[in-house]
Amino acid sequence: MSERMSSRRGANQQAPSFLQQRRAWQAHHRQVARDSLIRLRQRPLGTLMTLFAIAVALVLPATLWLLLGGAQVLDRNLEDTAQLTVYLSPSLEEASAREVADKVRQRADVGRVELITAAEGLHQFQASLDLGDALQGLDHNPLPASLVVQPVTRTPEAVAALAMQLRQVNGVDEASADMQWLERLKQLTRLGQRIVLAFGALFALGVLLIVGNTIRLAVENRRDEIEVVTLIGATHAFVRRPFLYSGAWLGLGGGMLALVLLAVGMGWLSSPLSALASSYGTDWELPGLGFEGSLLLLVCSTVLGWLGAWIAVGRHLARMRPR
Amino acid sequence: MIAFEHVGKRYGGRFEALADVNFRLSRGEMVFLTGHSGAGKSSVLKLLTCLERPSRGRIVVAGHDLGQLGSVRIPFYRRQIGVVFQNHQLLFDRTVFDNVALPLLIQGMPASDVARRVRAALDKVGLLHRERALPIELSGGEQQRIGIARAVVHKPALLLADEPTGNLDPQLSADIMRLFEDFNRIGTTVLIASHDLALIARLRHRVLRLKDGRLIADENGS
Ligand SMILES: Nc1ncnc2c1ncn2[C@@H]1O[C@H](COP(=O)(O)OP(=O)(O)O)[C@@H](O)[C@H]1O
Ligand SMILES: [Mg+2]
Repeated sequence: MSERMSSRRGANQQAPSFLQQRRAWQAHHRQVARDSLIRLRQRPLGTLMTLFAIAVALVLPATLWLLLGGAQVLDRNLEDTAQLTVYLSPSLEEASAREVADKVRQRADVGRVELITAAEGLHQFQASLDLGDALQGLDHNPLPASLVVQPVTRTPEAVAALAMQLRQVNGVDEASADMQWLERLKQLTRLGQRIVLAFGALFALGVLLIVGNTIRLAVENRRDEIEVVTLIGATHAFVRRPFLYSGAWLGLGGGMLALVLLAVGMGWLSSPLSALASSYGTDWELPGLGFEGSLLLLVCSTVLGWLGAWIAVGRHLARMRPR
Repeated sequence: MIAFEHVGKRYGGRFEALADVNFRLSRGEMVFLTGHSGAGKSSVLKLLTCLERPSRGRIVVAGHDLGQLGSVRIPFYRRQIGVVFQNHQLLFDRTVFDNVALPLLIQGMPASDVARRVRAALDKVGLLHRERALPIELSGGEQQRIGIARAVVHKPALLLADEPTGNLDPQLSADIMRLFEDFNRIGTTVLIASHDLALIARLRHRVLRLKDGRLIADENGS
């Protein structure tokens, strides 16, 4: 019973060459890719619902990611504007104030230093508060002279250390660097990163489940066909192929829809956001995903769709294994 | 070509559908497998197509021990046999041509060869003129012939059929059987499960008779 099952009609049974087989395989891939797209178009409502579900699942983490990117740009901007205000003793004459300013200016860790004399300070104060001549009646200027100091190193730690040292300088009353809120912003950004990561993972799982469920239904609908092709010698790869293409198409379509939703949403948000930013004196715009970001989103969503389909078909195939 | 050695099959661990079945089929034979409904005919064919694995014993087909065949190799084993199903199981969303071409597509045959082979198979079952039709437009007998064309399009050395004349009238059944005899005449080994005793008796081939999962007779046709 070790006879081979070679055909007796051998002459025309010649096995196709490797090249021929590969060409047939490529042709089959093209056909399956086209067929699965056509199948999706044949039930537009279901497909559209799936696409929207995928898009929504992608938009939320992508938006968070964009906002986070925006926040990072923002705190880099703010770091650039880092400066210290050094208040000199109220008793100091203007000449002594200039001496202190010169002394501070000579330090290596200090960039530009601007002296605001007591008189200038009062003037600015009046202007900023729109008080007009309300302070004219004061018989002496209650404000001290101050220095606006630009640190060389602008990290919150360096600025805080510099403030401490400047406080020791003769004639200096107080040096304040209100960097705390910047530090807080940084921590918030770090928190935000984790939140985006967690949401990203969660919503990636969501995409997987959405596509998986859609493909599971497609597999149910075609179970007779799967049974037939399996019985006449289809490999698991052959059975999977149309569903993997469907999953990948759904992922890609959902990703593209997500990009559209993002563009619309960002357009809608960008003007109030930049208005808000300019009211804080920074020139800031919500950054878009850009080419690379968009590509990454599409690749991720396509791969997720493919993977979701793989899992859904795999479960079905496992149930069909002979026992 | 086929050897069953002490084959037993249980479904769900309890029920014994086949018990100690022994037989051999030589290359080029045409054999009927018969018995009452529930006797185990379909089970024998499911074992031969690796849809089920034997619970006991050994099944060897053309050198393949089916009990040992890994799931990766099963598809390639199945490509060497042709199967005609009880209810023809054509795919109703594609044409006769595409249905018959399916085994070749699965095997990755170049498109030019596919068309030639499909037409040759359709010609043999006398339905070349219906290649563009959808299965739903065909009669039951024609659908069954399409099923046979699909089973032989890749020129298998072994052809299995489960109740191929199940729902057909006697005249059509006789036509279908004649078709199997044609394939057998050109060298294909044929095993047909059927409970159409009158038809089987007329055809005078070897008959394996099953009863309650046991082989009770092995009669040589004259
Ligand atoms: N998948 C299955 N699970 C449980 N019992 C089965 C299964 N398939 C067949 N059987 C049982 O095995 C016995 C033999 O069935 P089958 O091989 O289909 O007989 P036949 O084809 O001769 O009518 C029957 O009693 C049937 O109920
Ligand atoms: Mg049966």
